[in-house]
Amino acid sequence: MVRSTPTPTDPIDLLAPVRGEVSWFCCGNAWGPCSSTGRGACGTCNSGSLQHAWPNTSDACWSITRPDRCGYSLSRRTCGFRHRTTSLCGGASVVTSIADCGPQTDLFCGERSCCGATCASDRLIDLTPAAYSRIASLSTGLRPCEISTA
Amino acid sequence: MTTRRQMLKSALLGGGATVVAATAMGSLGPEAAFAAAPPQPEPGVPDPDFAEGRIRSIRGNTLLVLGSNLVFHRIRVVDGTSLWKLGPVGFDEAKPGDGLYARGIRMPDGILAAESVWLNIVNIKGHVRNITSEKIHLDHNGQDVLCHVVPGKSVAMHSDAPPTADLSLLRVGQHVQILGAWRPDTNEVDIATVFSPH
Repeated sequence: MVRSTPTPTDPIDLLAPVRGEVSWFCCGNAWGPCSSTGRGACGTCNSGSLQHAWPNTSDACWSITRPDRCGYSLSRRTCGFRHRTTSLCGGASVVTSIADCGPQTDLFCGERSCCGATCASDRLIDLTPAAYSRIASLSTGLRPCEISTA
Repeated sequence: MTTRRQMLKSALLGGGATVVAATAMGSLGPEAAFAAAPPQPEPGVPDPDFAEGRIRSIRGNTLLVLGSNLVFHRIRVVDGTSLWKLGPVGFDEAKPGDGLYARGIRMPDGILAAESVWLNIVNIKGHVRNITSEKIHLDHNGQDVLCHVVPGKSVAMHSDAPPTADLSLLRVGQHVQILGAWRPDTNEVDIATVFSPH
């Protein structure tokens, strides 16, 4: 597992793909609980666009998400940077660009998702509904994945 | 081999688009369905094969949906379309006022031939403010969301343990993710799954 290897000076998504959990979130002032969500830290987030939230978009973002508390030192990546997220439950992948800060990795430290015997731990990326639904049904809510630079 | 997408497209073009229940094709496994997805559009831009909004009206097998960005969508439900509303449901569960996300194939005339329609689905994170055997009060970004336990539907996932209908391990103050179905025009949600890290 990648989780046991990174250090604060070792930006893992530059060296190799990283495994973690992927979920989805709404943005862009839509219906229901999304009515007051806004357009995210980059001001561009929209549920219908192929975008994602990344835990290290700025110092302020990092101070909220704190993936280091789960053992990760993710690279600083800013608005518009592209990642590829590949589902470990079937292999579908999607390339998205950063539109927000998140997820709050430290609040779910140690959480693990599996597809059969294939598992991944800790929340490292959140996709918009448009992006997540390209690799899994929205009704799954959470999936193990692999993240790489696109 | 005919893919699910090809079948949906031919169903629409052939005019034989009869509405069926979500489970009529058997398992509608999304991972299998989406593994054969076509090349994607540019990151960061709206996905033409996706729609979001609220149902304004229903005509025959077509959902007329106004997007939150004020774009109007016509979403055709055809043989094989999977519909979700706290679980797999039939087309008759779609109502005006429902929020939705839909994925499918955008046809030349602008209609979205739907592979999947998720009605009122929400996926929210927050901390548990209060909990009873019937309800969870969730603080979601400072908003109080009342989440209802639905017997026979609601389950908890504690990390990678199997889903359980027993929600008694959840505690006040802990952080959770709740996947469920919004009750339109309220701050209430029916729970499908509570994801808990512990």
